[in-house]
Amino acid sequence: MEALSFFAISWISPQLLALTALGTFLGIYVGAIPGLSVTMAVSILISFTFSWEVNNALCLMVGVYMGGVYGGSRTAILLNIPGAPSAIATALDGYPLAQKGLAGEAIGLSTVMSVIGGFVGIFVLAVAAPFVSDFAISFQPRDYMLLGVLGIMLVGSLSGNSLAKGVLAGSFGVLIGTVGLDPLTAEERFTFGVVELWNGINPVAVMIGLFGISEALTQLHFMHKASVKQVINRIIPKWKDVKRYLPLSLQSSSVGVIVGALPGTGGDIAALMAYDYAKRTTKNPEVEFGKGAKEGLVAPESANNAAVGGAYIPMLTLGIPGDAVTAVFIGALFIHGLNPGPLLMIEQPEIFWFTVGNLTLANIFILIFGLTGIRLFAKLVECPKGVLIPIIFLLSIVGAYSINNAITDVWWMLGFGVIGYFMKQYGYQVGPVILGVILSRLIDENWRRAILSEQGNIAGFFGEAFTSPLSCVLLATIVFIFISHTPLWTRWRKNKSSKS
Amino acid sequence: MKKTIIGALTALTLSTTALAAFPEKDIQGIIQWGAGGSTDTVMRSISPHAEKALGVDIVLTNKTGGVGAIAMKYVNSKDDDGYTLLMGAENPQMYKVLGLGDMDYNDMITINILARGTPVFVARNDAPYNNMQEFTDFVKAHPGELKIGSTGNGGLTSIVMAMLQSQISLDYTSIPYNGDGPALTALQGGAIDVMPAVLGATIEQIKAGRMKVIGLVDKEANKLLPGVAPITDTFPGLKSYLPWGPFFGIFVKQGTPDDVVKKLQGAFQQAAFHPDFIDLMQKRGFTILNISGEEANYFLSGYRSTSSWLVHEAGFSKRSPEEFNIPRP
Amino acid sequence: MNHPTSRRPGELLFNLLVLIASLFLFWQAYAIAQFSSLSSSGALPLAATSIMVISACLVLIKTIRLPLEPHVRFIRHIFPPIIGIVMALILMFAVMLEPIGFILSAAIFLFIAMTFLHRKGWVVSLGLTLVSLALVYCVFRLIFKVILPEGIIPEREIMAVISHWFSANF
Repeated sequence: MEALSFFAISWISPQLLALTALGTFLGIYVGAIPGLSVTMAVSILISFTFSWEVNNALCLMVGVYMGGVYGGSRTAILLNIPGAPSAIATALDGYPLAQKGLAGEAIGLSTVMSVIGGFVGIFVLAVAAPFVSDFAISFQPRDYMLLGVLGIMLVGSLSGNSLAKGVLAGSFGVLIGTVGLDPLTAEERFTFGVVELWNGINPVAVMIGLFGISEALTQLHFMHKASVKQVINRIIPKWKDVKRYLPLSLQSSSVGVIVGALPGTGGDIAALMAYDYAKRTTKNPEVEFGKGAKEGLVAPESANNAAVGGAYIPMLTLGIPGDAVTAVFIGALFIHGLNPGPLLMIEQPEIFWFTVGNLTLANIFILIFGLTGIRLFAKLVECPKGVLIPIIFLLSIVGAYSINNAITDVWWMLGFGVIGYFMKQYGYQVGPVILGVILSRLIDENWRRAILSEQGNIAGFFGEAFTSPLSCVLLATIVFIFISHTPLWTRWRKNKSSKS
Repeated sequence: MKKTIIGALTALTLSTTALAAFPEKDIQGIIQWGAGGSTDTVMRSISPHAEKALGVDIVLTNKTGGVGAIAMKYVNSKDDDGYTLLMGAENPQMYKVLGLGDMDYNDMITINILARGTPVFVARNDAPYNNMQEFTDFVKAHPGELKIGSTGNGGLTSIVMAMLQSQISLDYTSIPYNGDGPALTALQGGAIDVMPAVLGATIEQIKAGRMKVIGLVDKEANKLLPGVAPITDTFPGLKSYLPWGPFFGIFVKQGTPDDVVKKLQGAFQQAAFHPDFIDLMQKRGFTILNISGEEANYFLSGYRSTSSWLVHEAGFSKRSPEEFNIPRP
Repeated sequence: MNHPTSRRPGELLFNLLVLIASLFLFWQAYAIAQFSSLSSSGALPLAATSIMVISACLVLIKTIRLPLEPHVRFIRHIFPPIIGIVMALILMFAVMLEPIGFILSAAIFLFIAMTFLHRKGWVVSLGLTLVSLALVYCVFRLIFKVILPEGIIPEREIMAVISHWFSANF
């Protein structure tokens, strides 16, 4: 009963209600604009809300977080520029839908699915936080490494026509991720003595270049064609559609919660894994994946919003951030005189239930704001290419600059834009590159930690892997996916289906 | 309308000719580490107090990379007018010997050194040792088996371990993490056994009983850790290195005019006296220093000497401290 | 899967360049830590670059076997002048960003690019430039406090003057 009263704090106070709404609204735009990250926005809000009461500050920040994760899909669908890494998977099928004039429907569907995902995340946070955080914390370096390899298998789904080109692009991405001072030993890797390269190449710069710039350059080929007219008569998805995709959405959301709750992974990996899962399990999609399959939109959008609730799980129960944004939240709680840590739930249970209630509220606002502004957004892509393309370039450059206030990121972004353009011309997909970049560190660091823990003994590594149930499950999944890619398996499947 | 334009123009000319007292525009604060880190948290909690004293906004920007070297390089590439502040942690004091750059805080002007942390040794709850003596005995009895988390060469763990190794030779396995946050998470998950870390990062977990303190790297007992004996009780030889700990400070480029430096120092000193800030820092286990000028220089040189020579003698320095005339502690 | 049946002009050269780059990177990765240990900082780079070399070889062999696509010319279909011109414009923008500042360089870029691509006369371009620039500036500089390069326009001084003026007159 007490919990319920804490839960409702932000629902019954008009001020808190308004702040949550404002936060969510701002968040959608922060998320949608590439280069402006939720992490950055929440940090700015810490200074901005310094003298405020803690509840007011939290409402605004929670709203921005929820809204921001959702907002990333906007530009991914409309312009093929994911607003944040967690929206990369959304661009894969969302942008083709917009190209067909179905941007309104795509945004509508992604909104509803984000909200469903968000609710799953919040639900798990509310009922099972202590169990999930214990589970998440038990992940060993070995398990993280296996998880990374599992993610890398996605190259198979993203390769398009040529697996060899996909593998090439994927390993190139992994390589980009290793550039800079090695985070573990501070050795220089591919830095060629340039200090600016010490911090590596920012994944967001790579992402904006490969997706945004290269697509805008490609569009220059079609200057004589008019922009695609958008159909905007149906925005709220049909109930039949929602019901049809609900099972997939729920499954993707559970992937999202777990991956989000792991302290070493976040919404970006969750969304990509969910996309892969959808592609594997959807038997007969109406439209092929990569060409505008709605399943390819449902899965990542459910997963990345579910990851928000997931990321809060270790933060609220143990004081361990589930991702970069919750790390900033921990700082904010400190500044407001609270002690985020394992005792927070015991000493200040109101914060937990207040946050759960507030997240729920923000999620409802996403539904409202998400479904109301679509017409305007969809119309935006209809604006003439001669105007839209220069603005895309401007946004990309400003976005890349704002990642770290450095011109270096702009150069990388442009470089990858040109590389991406030629890759597209010659039948390479850009998806595997960004996948590699995102997973590179996870695999690199945890592989080395795992091997070091066994004192360099690879047999010890596998020996341990077979004795831990978690590692066994992960290993088995990898082997299964690998086998299912081989020609032998596909032939066997075909034979089986033709017989029956 | 005409009046407005004339008004604006006169205001413009007035402010440029009369040269109003510093600061006449927003100040940019460059934070060396990323959002959500401890440096970020400390700087974001002191800046609003300093803003009040200065009367302008301090626009905070995180500029990460190169163990903080990128931010340092950036601030020093700006004008020496006091409008760009470097807000950082202890790392630059090791740049010279680690080959990460040829500048450190001694080559800048200190506005304020806010606070210093105290390192502690924490261990998994189920570990069969409870103090430094038992711990070192255990490592001796099981060479190479114990997994100790580390945050890379030059990080806090490497220096604390170098201190310990200067007293007793230990054979253990070092598992690297990029930051004490992930390493302490791994400790709770059982991936590592022991981790030297700053008290502030561990205090909440210790209070909740999710890990235990086995050593306090200081000369005196700490009131946040009742009943934990300082490490010098076991290893009196460490007295010459202690007290030692990571710190947070605010710096400007060499050559900034004196009156500007005075104004900034005054503002931040006042800010660091604010009860909210003191309360926040003490709760996280930091010792407030709030020093500038001579006192700060003495502190910075002392930190540099101790750390540089420890690192050099432990064998992972790229260049000798002698090359830079860094005296032995 | 529909495999391509012909290669596009320049594709062979591109794939060859990819192979050369992969070999160079492999050599660089080897230089990090040689084959010292499985847990060295060079382990993953070596693995990644060796896969790159192998797959680049496979791609190249496949491409060589394919016949050249007829009626497709590099200069018209792969890299038409319009792309070159726009790339040059962006390059100019990026080069000028720090020396002359964001506002001026972005205004020049938008104006030229819109005049060239939109072709509705310079008045329309100028109007569109000013509106979009004002929007971007407000969002990034004023709301999210991203310090964009100031260059030769003393933005902070101007803003300080404006805010002084406001506080003095209202």
